[in-house]
Amino acid sequence: MPIRYEDLSNEVRRISLSGRLDTVGSEEIAEELASLATSAKRGVVVDLSQVTFLSSMGIRALIAAAKARQANGGRMVLLVDGSDVVVRTLEATGVDELIPVYDDEGEAESAALA
Amino acid sequence: MWLESAALGEGVPGDQILRLDHCLDEALANVISHGGPVALTSLVLLRLVVRRGRGISTADLLIVDEGLEFDASVLPSGPLPRPTSLAEANPGGLGLAMMRAFSDDLSYRRVDGRNHLTISVTWTETT
Repeated sequence: MPIRYEDLSNEVRRISLSGRLDTVGSEEIAEELASLATSAKRGVVVDLSQVTFLSSMGIRALIAAAKARQANGGRMVLLVDGSDVVVRTLEATGVDELIPVYDDEGEAESAALA
Repeated sequence: MWLESAALGEGVPGDQILRLDHCLDEALANVISHGGPVALTSLVLLRLVVRRGRGISTADLLIVDEGLEFDASVLPSGPLPRPTSLAEANPGGLGLAMMRAFSDDLSYRRVDGRNHLTISVTWTETT
């Protein structure tokens, strides 16, 4: 499960995940995801547009990262490409009501700073 | 991967395989997390059966493990309660919520000291 990040500005970091966030893959990235989300200066966009499978373990990793970001001030949002599987998982677990979800990159970056 | 190979061999459409894949990942995670020591050292049996009717097909994925008995009575039969804020989110029960969301039917039985979980997905055959 590749994980990359890019600081888009002094205040927004984009963390990009790709491939399968299944149980095994999620365990591999959970700690690094939380660390990257926490060490960002303020806003974080987690880009899930290249994720093809999202498990409950992946959801837990996202929630942990968002809580860590919030505890340090700032906000984490999710960027999706509208693919049925990832969006359906977010909706089925109610995570879309806890972590804002966007399918537009610009909107996601603005929301991360809101 | 076994599921994809077996399901393709039975003519299960790709989108239905993905639904089963999600459920299987969650079910096996539950076995590992909640099945106890015996579950970690014993084999898990997987079996896929496809039933075909008049334009309607169903794939039943049976998962048999030797872990601790699952106490279904502790779970609400309806929708699982959801946290209303990130601060209070304590994401237990997500796996079950996902299995319910991605399957058309879930059935559980305890047989001869083993857990039998059957996950079913149904689709309409296109000609």
